Amino acid sequence: MIGNDIIDLHLARRESNWQRKGFLSKIFTAAEQEMICQATIPSDMVWLLWSCKEAAYKIINRITNSRVYNPVKFNCTLSDEQENTITGTVLFEACSYPFISHRNSNYIHTVAVSHDVFLNRIDIYTGDSLPSHLFPTGNSLVKNQDGVPYLMNCGTNSTIPVSISHHGNYVGLAQNNMYSGYSF
Amino acid sequence: MDKETLIAQLKEIVKPYAKNEEGLLNINENTDFVNDLKINSANLVDVILDVEEQFNIVIDNESMERMLDVRSAMEIIEAKLAAK
Repeated sequence: MIGNDIIDLHLARRESNWQRKGFLSKIFTAAEQEMICQATIPSDMVWLLWSCKEAAYKIINRITNSRVYNPVKFNCTLSDEQENTITGTVLFEACSYPFISHRNSNYIHTVAVSHDVFLNRIDIYTGDSLPSHLFPTGNSLVKNQDGVPYLMNCGTNSTIPVSISHHGNYVGLAQNNMYSGYSF
Repeated sequence: MDKETLIAQLKEIVKPYAKNEEGLLNINENTDFVNDLKINSANLVDVILDVEEQFNIVIDNESMERMLDVRSAMEIIEAKLAAK
C-alpha cells in the first residue's frame, strides 16, 4: 500500500496562514509543534509534516474506505535528513508507516508505505503534469466509487493501485514497481 | 437558529476556501466540503477555526473528525450551542 502527497509551497503560502491562532494545535501533536518551533525554516517543517500525515492518511483511507478528519492522530517522527531527502515514520493507531520526502524550493513530495520493504520498491514521479508514458495505449487511469485511483490495462482488465496527488503547479504519483515493469 | 440561517452562515465561512463556485452557489445540507466545494484538507482546519470563532464554541477532536460536510457541521454547531 502506498500513499503520496504533494504540496506546492508557493500556493500553500497563499492558501494557508499556519501562524493563525489554533491552527498548529488542531492538526499537530505537541512533539510536532516543538519540531516546527525548532526548525530553521518553520513553514517548511509545517508542510513536510502535513504531507506525511496526508500520505499516511491516503493509505488508511484506501484500506478502510472511510473518511475521517483526524490529522492530530498521525504522529510523525523524522529519522534522517540528507540534503533534500527526508525519511521517517508516521504512527497511526499502533501501526507505523515509513515515508520518504523529496523537497526543493518549490514543492514537498512525500510517499508513505504500509511496510518498510516497500520503500525500496516504489516508483515516484514528481512533475507539472501526469507523465504520458505511464498511459501507453490500452492503459487508462480509472477511479473506483470512492475516488481511489487505479491504472487499468484495458486488454486484461487488470488494475494496479496508484497514488496520485495534485496541488497547484505540481502532480505527484507513486506506485509499487513490482507491478509496473517500467519506471517513471 | 433555523437551518437556512445556519447554512447561510456556513456559506460565508467556507467561501474563502471553496474552489468550486458552483458547489458554493448550490450549498445545502448534503454538500461535502472536500468533494463538492473542493476545499483542500489543510483549509478544513481554517473552516473549523472560523466556526469556533463565529459561534464562540470549541470543536473537540472527536467532532472535528466528522466535520467533512454541511450536515455534520450543522449537527456539531447545534449540539455545541445547546450545551453552552
